Order: sequence, then structure tokens, then C-alpha cells
Amino acid sequence: MKKKKSGSVWMILPLYIFTIIFVAGPLLYMLALSFAQPKAGHGVEWTFTLANYKKILDPVYMQTFTGSFQLALTSTLIICLVGYPFGYFMAKLSDKWKKRAMIFLMLPFWVNSLIRLYGWMIILQTKGLLNHVLKSLGLIEKPLRILYSYPAIVIGMTYVLLPFMILSVYSSAEKLDWSLVEAARDLGASPFKAFWTVSFKLTLPGLLSGVILTFIPSMGLFFIADILGGNKIVLVGSLIQEQMTRGNNWPFAAALAVVLMILTTLMIMLYRKVTNAKELEGVG
Amino acid sequence: MKKLVVCALCAALVVPTLAVSVQADDSKELVLYTWENMFPQEVLDGFEEETGIKVVYSNFDTDENMLEKLSMAKGGDYDVVVADDYIIQTAIEEGLVEKLDTSKLSGWENINPLYQGQFYDPNDEYTAPYGAGIPLIVYDPELVDIDIKGYNDLWDASLEDSIALTANYRVLNGITNLALGQDFNDQNTDDIAKTGEKLLELAPNVRLIQDDNTQDALLNGEASVAFLYTSQVTAALQENPDLKVVYPEEGLGFGVMGMFIPSQAPDKDEAYQFMDYILQPENAAKCFDYIGYYCTNKAADSLLENQDLVVPDSVTEGSAVENISAEADEAYNKNWTEFKAACN
Repeated sequence: MKKKKSGSVWMILPLYIFTIIFVAGPLLYMLALSFAQPKAGHGVEWTFTLANYKKILDPVYMQTFTGSFQLALTSTLIICLVGYPFGYFMAKLSDKWKKRAMIFLMLPFWVNSLIRLYGWMIILQTKGLLNHVLKSLGLIEKPLRILYSYPAIVIGMTYVLLPFMILSVYSSAEKLDWSLVEAARDLGASPFKAFWTVSFKLTLPGLLSGVILTFIPSMGLFFIADILGGNKIVLVGSLIQEQMTRGNNWPFAAALAVVLMILTTLMIMLYRKVTNAKELEGVG
Repeated sequence: MKKLVVCALCAALVVPTLAVSVQADDSKELVLYTWENMFPQEVLDGFEEETGIKVVYSNFDTDENMLEKLSMAKGGDYDVVVADDYIIQTAIEEGLVEKLDTSKLSGWENINPLYQGQFYDPNDEYTAPYGAGIPLIVYDPELVDIDIKGYNDLWDASLEDSIALTANYRVLNGITNLALGQDFNDQNTDDIAKTGEKLLELAPNVRLIQDDNTQDALLNGEASVAFLYTSQVTAALQENPDLKVVYPEEGLGFGVMGMFIPSQAPDKDEAYQFMDYILQPENAAKCFDYIGYYCTNKAADSLLENQDLVVPDSVTEGSAVENISAEADEAYNKNWTEFKAACN
């Protein structure tokens, strides 16, 4: 930067100003808000307090964090199990089929995710498609009550976030040097061993970035729990939303958001540490 | 040259404003301030025809917005305002509302007393109610074995995993209070703790909690009982007239919209004329049919096309959701979060 002429500073300046005003500004406001007090009725009283953070320690609200964490973990695990092989084998397809697979993968993105979730609602509901099919196949007698249950939320989460996992595994599997796998096979490794020691290790960064891309959003995707789960599980995201609107307690919502942000930042830091180590391992 | 263009443009901008203010002086006008679509055009036209007063319809999005603008105008600018109960309370406290001279309102006696004497205007000095939203229990008698009469029946073990609830924490806590025989707006934290315990017992019966289109769950068979907002009750009945509506025996919890005249309203006489026009049964009936809220005008009840908007005579008790202390509010919030988590 210093070497360049001062003119370029002026080119970048608007960007900085934009970032400061629209990113740093709200964040600071949120931070300040988290130390304020809610006013009865509506509004905020600007007196310093730690009560909002203390309130988070209340078992009722702590539970929303553990609940969110649990759900995020469950869905990420399932997404890994489904998404990894998907992305891996997609990278092995011929160029023509790769393109086709990519289009099929991106196609749902053309429709708003909320609308797609309503589609799931129609499939899963008691008088819905799934129960109809299962019933006419004679597999069940009484309709399954999947909608508005925990499994329904996991299905929704998996469905919405799966493409992120597939794409990140795919991009790292595509860069994979297959001759290394062949070399391992030539040297007598079983297919599984060749995969485990070579391909898997080399695609691990893809898998891990996929984990980050799915785990972190799933901590906050409250609308899936609302729509498919019938609002019966309280995630941090839905708690924040409710405190902002009905609850009329912006300071508490801000404190929750700050804690959530710290947690996700920690997770990203952890991820960077893990992947750096892996990269070193690969190089060494 | 440039200066000339600028001057000309400025002049062009000023002229229409002048024209408007000139026009405003010689014809009678009334500024009505409320949400969008709160009055049928037919009624507004009828008022203009009868009185020669032109209604300028000005709208706001939220109650808070209205209060801010009204307090900036120091209670002026607007002649008649229609808004929600709780915000009217604040407006009255801030001195923005005119005390009504009911002798100027011939239709005052038509108001249904169920909606009078409420917390925001305990002596009915400032407002006339304009429609009420009443959450009610609706159920499918084919799928439910018991005869639901009130809130307490929602706790019945036979209703396991079959109730759809709206998501207003104050209303749900409120009806639990009523089920326990407590006040709808109980502010005692010990009582609220009891409310929380009682709510937790309801959890196994809850199928879903949702604010939008909650009636769908009842219509598509996901739930057999639902606690619905007014518009949802209407929608559900339109789709399936066999559904049963329950006016809970423990009493109602509702939200009322009120009509008032701001303290510095520029055209108070016109405002009284408008209010009185709306209080006339035939006009009121048209209004409630149009907005789809419960009729707050007793004399208009029989004139309504949609009789579902008439609260039966047997219902005599109801209370609105009041502003409560921050402490109580927080306790209700906590009850609600705990309850939702227990439903899963």
C-alpha cells in the first residue's frame, strides 16, 4: 500500500468507509447494546449492566445453546456422511457428466429456500406425499407423524446445507492427483487403504471447510426449526429473533448474538488451526 | 444561465405546495391516521357525501411509528387516529390524546361494553373501540373426543400431540393464567412461576407453535385443536364450516384497536363528526365486515354479513394484553422459552 501512489488510497477509501459504516458500525452498536437495559414497554435504557450476559447462564437459555449445538452437530454429521461420497464420486465423473451433475446440484438454488422448505412440509405432512406412497406400498398402516418433529428439522437442515458440503468436497477432490492413488495401488495397497491414506487425507481440507460451511450456518438457521419443527425446539437463532420482536428485549438479543459470534469465531479459529496442521503434514 | 434554471426549478417545486395549501383553506378536510386498509372506501365516500368533509387517509406501518410522529407533531397534524390499545395508553400518558366530549357522539351508546373500561382507558374518557382481535380455540369435533369448553380442556390427556398454537408469549401465558384462575396480566412473579409450571404440563399436547397460517395445521389434519387469531379463525371457518369455535368459559384475552382524537387536532369538529359517523351501526357493520375483526359495536352486531365476527351474548368477560413491568415481562419470556423447549 505504501509504495503505491496516494491516488489508489482514494480509490480504496470508499470501500473502507463502507465497511466501517455498515459492518463495524452495527457490530459496535450490537456490542454496546448488549450492555444496556431494556425499557419497560419498548426501547432501550442506556445504563451499563452485565445482567444480559448473566441471564444467558440461566439453564433455560443455556439450553438453547446446547440444543443448537446438538442439532448442528447431528446435521453436520449426516451431511458429511451423505455429502462426502457425493462430492468425491462427482469429481470422478467424466467432464460431460460433471457439468450435468453440477447443474442438477445448482438447480434447487434457483428457488428460494423457504419455498423449498414448504415443499418438504407438503411431502412430510400426515396427509402428505410420503405417507401416501408408503401407505399404498403397504409399508405402513398408520401415517407417520414426521412433520413438526426433530427428524423433520434434521431433514430440512441436511437438505438446505448439503450442497455446500458437496461443492467443497468436490473442489478438493477434483484437484486430487489421481496418479498418487494409482501409485499406492501399484505398490500393493488395497482400494480402501489407498483411499484412506491418500485420497481421504488429500481431500480432508475440503471436508473440513464443508464442515465449517454447514456447521456454522446450522447454528443460526432458525427458520427451518420454525417451519418443519413447528417451533418446538428453541435455537439460539430463534431466541434472538424472538427477543428482538415480541420479547422487546434488544439488549438481551444483542448479548446472545455476541456470545454466538464469539463461539463461531472460536470454531473458525479451531478449524484454521486444524487445517494448517494438516497442510503441514501433507507437505512434510 | 445555471442560476436561472435553478431558480425556475425551485419555483416549480414551490408552486404545487402553495396550491395545496390554498385548496386546503376553502374546503373542509379531515386527516385520518391509521394502518392501511382499515376503512372501506364506501364508508369514507359516504362520510364525504353526507358532511362535505374530505377524508385524507394517512397511514403508518407500526404503532411505534405512529406514536413517534404524533409526539413530534405535539398531538397535532392528525384529526383521528386508530391504533392498538397498548400504544394508546402511552399516548394518553404523554398527553397526546383529547378527552372526548361524548355529548357530541350520538352513537356512543352503541359501543359493546365488553370492550370498555379496559386498562388503556379505564374510564372511557379518550377512546372509542374500533374492532377487536380475540384469539379463540377452534377444533375439529370429528377428531376430538372431549367437548372443549375452555382453556383448561387444552390440558386434557386425550389431546396429546394435537394442538396448534399461535406464538404470542403474552397471550399464551395469559390464557394459562386464566386457566389457573389468575389475572390475565398477573404481574406477581410467584404467580408467574406457577404459570410456567402449568405451561410445561401443556407441552406434551402441543403439535406445533406458529404465528402465520396456523389454521392450515387444523385444515390439513396435522392438528385437531388450534388456538387461533381472529383472522385465522375466520379463514379456518371459511374452509371448513364444521369446525367448532370455543369462546373459553374462563374469559377472553384480546387486543382492541381504539379510535381517538389527538390533543391538538387541527379540525376537532370534523373529527367528532367522523367518529360519530363510524359509530352509527350501519357504517360500523360495513367497517367490521371489511377489516374482519370482532365487532365492538353492539348495535351493529345484527347488521354484519359475517356473523362469525359477533361475540355471543354469553361472553361477558375479557381482558386485554396490558403493558406490564419489565420484571414480569421477563418472567413471562422465560416461561415461554422453557415451554417451547419442553414441547419437543
